[in-house]
Amino acid sequence: MTCERLVRLLALYLTLCAAAAAGDVRDFKRKASILLKEEPKNPKCFAETKKDFVCFWEEDEERAGSVDQYSFTYAYQKENGSTCALQVLRSAGGKRLFVCRLDRVQMFVQLDIRVYREGIQIHNRSLLIELLFLLDPPKNVTVSSTGRQGQLNVSWVAPSLKYMDDSMIYEVFYARADSHVGQVEAIQACSEMILRGLEASTKYRVQVRVNLDGITYDGFWSAWSDPVFVETLPAELDPLIVSLTFIVSFILVLLCLTMLLSHHRFLIKKLWPAVPTPDSKFQDLFTVYGGDFKEWLGQTSGSLWLTSPFILSEECPSPLEVLSELHLCPPLSSPPLPPKASKALTLVRNEDRVLSKGLLDGESVDRVDALQTNGWRSPLHDHWLLDRLREFQQHPVPRSQCSLLESQDTYITLSGNKRTEEEHREDTLDEVLPPGVFFASRKPPKSESHSDLGSVQQSSGSGNLSSQSSFEYPNNVWTAKDPGYTYMAVADSGVSMDYSPMSRADDIGKVVIYANDYKNEIPPHRRPFLVRQCPVHDDG
Amino acid sequence: HRLFALLLLVLEWTRPGLPSPLRPICDLRVLNHFIQEARDAEVTMKSCREGCGLTEAVSVPQTTVNFDDWEKKNAMEQAQEVQTGLWLLQQALSLLRTSMTNSELNSHIDNVIRNLHSITAVLRSLNFQEYTPPASTVGPEGTWRVSTATELLQVHLNFLRGKVRLLLLDAQACQQEAS
Repeated sequence: MTCERLVRLLALYLTLCAAAAAGDVRDFKRKASILLKEEPKNPKCFAETKKDFVCFWEEDEERAGSVDQYSFTYAYQKENGSTCALQVLRSAGGKRLFVCRLDRVQMFVQLDIRVYREGIQIHNRSLLIELLFLLDPPKNVTVSSTGRQGQLNVSWVAPSLKYMDDSMIYEVFYARADSHVGQVEAIQACSEMILRGLEASTKYRVQVRVNLDGITYDGFWSAWSDPVFVETLPAELDPLIVSLTFIVSFILVLLCLTMLLSHHRFLIKKLWPAVPTPDSKFQDLFTVYGGDFKEWLGQTSGSLWLTSPFILSEECPSPLEVLSELHLCPPLSSPPLPPKASKALTLVRNEDRVLSKGLLDGESVDRVDALQTNGWRSPLHDHWLLDRLREFQQHPVPRSQCSLLESQDTYITLSGNKRTEEEHREDTLDEVLPPGVFFASRKPPKSESHSDLGSVQQSSGSGNLSSQSSFEYPNNVWTAKDPGYTYMAVADSGVSMDYSPMSRADDIGKVVIYANDYKNEIPPHRRPFLVRQCPVHDDG
Repeated sequence: HRLFALLLLVLEWTRPGLPSPLRPICDLRVLNHFIQEARDAEVTMKSCREGCGLTEAVSVPQTTVNFDDWEKKNAMEQAQEVQTGLWLLQQALSLLRTSMTNSELNSHIDNVIRNLHSITAVLRSLNFQEYTPPASTVGPEGTWRVSTATELLQVHLNFLRGKVRLLLLDAQACQQEAS
């Protein structure tokens, strides 16, 4: 048991020694490579601590002899010489290293070295050991944040050499982790340094090496320590910049508000345009007469109506296409129509020229060819139509016989009024057409005479028609072949006429119903000459 | 640094009344300055060919430092060794100065001699005992004999960098001030 234990201990010791030796050899070779670059003289010597000193030289494998052929002698000033035992190490590239480790180190005294190979001096050198230090790199290099933007605190453990602490100088290399180009900062007799001027949120690589200041001690720069990677703090907002930004923003907001306030009327007008109302077009209609259009019409002259802006507007009447003809009842006994009265007719007595002008501006001049020449409306014709209407109201023509027009004439009308017939009779002839309402009739292919169309606005609204420019032929005068068609001619002047029964709350209770629907409905009690249904495009 | 050392000397010489204890001079930058000037003198002396030799051999202190051996000595022994060496160097350099005819070297030698006096004052400030020169002119133990100016200045430089510096670093007065 004892022998086995001893054997094990010996084996362990040898293993450790071998490992240590291997580590030592590895360290020596690393330092030797530095000296091979830095030291031109031979032998190349360096001291790692205050108590050791190593010298070596390199020879090619082919030219080198055995270690026995070499002798290394050294002598301190005023002392006798000594001989150093040489060791041989193989290095990379087919080289041999002959190494001498002095066992007695004295400093601040000249050391003379001589190397002989087979009695012939190959190297000779005088040196001072304290001027040839090659220290190990600083250990425990630590890089941490200082808490401030763009700074790092680097600290390390200096080589433990008494009497030499104040003679050590350090170089700190730092660079971005993804770059090989960096900066070097030097510091003396201190084992920490603060790096400044670094980029925020950037990973840096930091390394440190050590040397002696050269006054009392000197040597070579050690190898760089193992790199340490640290990322800097993210960028912080400079309080001054933040405050300036806030002030500038506040000033800009004030300026914007000032501009907005100074132009608020303009902006309100643009963003929320006022809904146009016809109040300005109809003086006193809603203010005095409470929306009673009939009464308003009665109180105002026709010229007032004619002078209303939308009548004078240059709005073009919408084209009206006659799709088919309605063969109506045989004509009543009536005076012959004026030869030039085959035009669309309104009950507007004045301003014929204005209306005709409006008509002529339309696209469907061809369709309104009957209106082009000679003025499309004449007072004589107006009176005739009114007479005919009165007569018809007093003596309604049976359905089979009713017709104010010849068979080939085309008539258009709109339905939708539910006002009572009595009211209609009273108001019909006095009413004027809603603005922009025009008739168009197709010129009959055979007949040279033209029937006039009369259109009287139905002032009562049924609610079926809520269009802007609806109208209705009043008095069941016309019978339709097919009651399912409704004509409507619209000239959109852009004026919205609200004829809904509930358009004005003040008017509830009053007999003011102007609404007419676009729906293709024909009130049963009214069967005007609903000829055919035309597609009406409301341009309003 | 030169001015600082001169100021110290002036204060030391002109102090009135009873001598008051000097403030310890523990800053090694003063010594570093002296070392620099000693190196300059040595380099200049190496390039001198004429008018720069010793007329006779002189005794100089040994400069060898084995840290193990040095640390085995106590402070008194260390101080005595240093003060003896400083005295020997002053004697040798004064002798060199008298035999020098090179004007450039004369200025360097004068600086070096002044620096040695300053170092003595620094040691006094650190409460080291005054050195009493030996009666015999023969060098005490632990001395070398040199015969050239180059060797003399080399010894002077090595002595300052070695033993003098070690003594100042280990001075008790400086240790107390640091703590």
